[in-house]
Amino acid sequence: MSKKKNLAVLILCFCCMAVVLATFALPLVTFKTDIYVKRSANTFVGDEKYLEAKAEVGALAAEYEGSYIEEAVTERVNSKGVTTSMVTFTVKETITRSGFDFMKASFGYEPGMTGIGATGSAHAWLFLLLICLALLLWGSCGTLATPRGELSAKTDKLYLLAGVTALFAAIAAHAFVRAIIYTFSRQVDLLVGGHIQNEALLADLNTFLYHGKAGDSLLDLLKGLTVKINWSITPAFIAMLVLLCGITYLRYGKLKDTLVRGALYLFVIIVCIFILYPFYVMLITAFRSNAETTDMYFLNMLPTQWVWSNLKDICDRGVLQYLLNSVLLATGATAIAMVCGIPAAYAMARMRFKGRNLFLGFVIMSQMFSPVVLLVGISQLMNTLHLNDSIIGLMLINAAFNQAFAIWLLRGTFVSISPEMEQAACIDGCSTVGALWNILLPMAAPGIVTTLIFVFINSWNEYTISTVLISTPSNKPITVGITQFSSFNMIEWQYLFASALLATIPVIILFMCIEKHLAEGLTSGGVKG
Amino acid sequence: MRSSVLVRHKWEPYLWLLPSVLLMTIFVVFPIGIVFKLSFSEISKAGMVGGFVGFDNFVEAVSAPVFGTVMMNTLVWVVSVVGLSTLFGFIIAMTLNQKFHGRKIARSIVVFPWATSLVIQASVWNYIIKYEYGNLNNVLLNLGIIQDAINWRASYQIEFAWECFVGIFVTIPFVTFCVLSGLQSIDGAYYEAATVDGATFWQKLRKITIPLVRPSLTVSTVLNVIYVFNSFPIIYTITKGAPANKTDTLITYLYMLAFYDQKKGPATALSVIGFLILCAVAGLYMAISLRKEDRS
Repeated sequence: MSKKKNLAVLILCFCCMAVVLATFALPLVTFKTDIYVKRSANTFVGDEKYLEAKAEVGALAAEYEGSYIEEAVTERVNSKGVTTSMVTFTVKETITRSGFDFMKASFGYEPGMTGIGATGSAHAWLFLLLICLALLLWGSCGTLATPRGELSAKTDKLYLLAGVTALFAAIAAHAFVRAIIYTFSRQVDLLVGGHIQNEALLADLNTFLYHGKAGDSLLDLLKGLTVKINWSITPAFIAMLVLLCGITYLRYGKLKDTLVRGALYLFVIIVCIFILYPFYVMLITAFRSNAETTDMYFLNMLPTQWVWSNLKDICDRGVLQYLLNSVLLATGATAIAMVCGIPAAYAMARMRFKGRNLFLGFVIMSQMFSPVVLLVGISQLMNTLHLNDSIIGLMLINAAFNQAFAIWLLRGTFVSISPEMEQAACIDGCSTVGALWNILLPMAAPGIVTTLIFVFINSWNEYTISTVLISTPSNKPITVGITQFSSFNMIEWQYLFASALLATIPVIILFMCIEKHLAEGLTSGGVKG
Repeated sequence: MRSSVLVRHKWEPYLWLLPSVLLMTIFVVFPIGIVFKLSFSEISKAGMVGGFVGFDNFVEAVSAPVFGTVMMNTLVWVVSVVGLSTLFGFIIAMTLNQKFHGRKIARSIVVFPWATSLVIQASVWNYIIKYEYGNLNNVLLNLGIIQDAINWRASYQIEFAWECFVGIFVTIPFVTFCVLSGLQSIDGAYYEAATVDGATFWQKLRKITIPLVRPSLTVSTVLNVIYVFNSFPIIYTITKGAPANKTDTLITYLYMLAFYDQKKGPATALSVIGFLILCAVAGLYMAISLRKEDRS
């Protein structure tokens, strides 16, 4: 029974190949293009010259099947007050091309081409498909009756390889469609606009669309080119999906679990790409030249030239000072927060006293208020204390507003450590401070480091308070400092992102160190004990 | 006596708390007091504080024609950002809780937006969605996904939607990690038993996962409401509230009022309003976490 089933699936896989080949013979892509443009000057609709030109264009249009004529009249009053008129005749043609036409062309193989190109991906698609089916045939020889799960290592490997090739073929199929849009829309736009020069590509386009007859008017003709992928390509894509499922079935004997697993990986990959995308933008923009950052015709996904001197430029404009300020600010804030927070957390974790719940409430309440809502009050307070425009003032504020989190996280850590050791030490005559310093702190080191880094990062990334309090440039932390590159009418993106990169990398590394402990501390720290 | 050490003097615990209490009193409680006092005082353009004027500042703040828009924006901002980031964060946490190759790397990557300063993240997105040369158009054109550049910020509503999107993007990691910590503490035996009984994925999700993750989800949601409500750099960087305060939230609006228009009176009144809203949320949160404390 299973043998019959396996054989059926194998045949289905070959049918998929046939479907793809059949689809390739269909008209997959429709182009609309101007094939001839005639501008007849000093012509009014209906006069002699007009009829003459129309006859000429009509004769030309008759040579092409599926072509039609469009007329446009431009009238203008010249400086002498005489109305002049020009009639533009455009012969338009609808062109369709099949997959095999693309295979015969050489898009993606001409020099100076970026990307794989339509021809290249079409070749890759069919070639990979052939290999895949060969592997499938090889793997299935004499093993169709074997129950799945008991396949020999060799057969299993062959099926795996076939699956991977099919996956790549599916990717190539996708690349085929994208490459067509890219070449005939984006690249043609750039060629017509004169933003890129590519003689080889022009020659290819001439051959592919106009049978090499366009000559000097090629760029004119390309101006009116539009491209549309037809629905007739859909069967090929469905066939690729069926093929992937078929191979999965042949290897495992079941579909659902494997597909769910595949979807899981797909989802994770998409999420990761999505999250990394702004960081990619930051990275590449930081090393592009000023002209490239604001160039909408920029063709590459990476800078054409990595401008390392951007780093030097931002250093000249005070970014090192800002970074130093940020280090000072974050270190100071962390130190103050820890010096105040550790004793408080210790008392909360180990001692019983009246008002304990009151203090807990106070801590939780203070966590609720970001400094932003109190901005006016804070700036007033700092004025009174003569601490505005100073890093020390920022340190104190950041420490105060991170107190809640610090106590929260530390208390959770302390509670999770058994107090017996300290109690023994106290009975032996060690002071409470001694017990905390010599016994508890070393044991709580991971939690303390987590808290330390967390407070450090929060203070490092703080922006709003600093932007209000600090006005002297040499006192600005990096988050405020980078805004000097974006004034109202001009933003120097490359400098902005180069500085942002310097400000981000250390923090991300620190964050990755504590990532494991952080979530635990955040949600359970407050409610333990 | 599970958590006590020897306390020699009755006043000792208070000594331990003193530095922390002092720090928070000066830099958290005092500003609250100042804001309350200013909101009932007359303040000149130059910043001179005058006498008591009752609720004049509140009346001026609330009767401003943009006040309604700003409050509506704040509501949309908080609800959409917290709601959607909780939903997506939950889904991503469920995924990252599965066993698969590269899970460690994926978890590290998910943390990235959380570690970046909001002003930097907002600047990057501000660049990405530019119409003329933004990176999104560039990438989509170069991948052959679109044929013509799209204007991603055609109107202020769309810009505000983008701001919400950036808010969601930076909030997701926090939710993910809170939920993940909840998921990790669930005993696998529950799922095994459910599987033996033939429970489907949805049944397991509804009857096991969600009830057991609820505490973490509550903590993360309430904290998020507060963070998102107070979030300033995203809107300030991308639109600065333009045009005519139509994309402002309460926080950016009061900032502009206080430090650009020099209207400190109405600004502090708005601060007090924001403060009271947060108090309500905070009270709710306290009630929840103290109840949990009692239970354990």
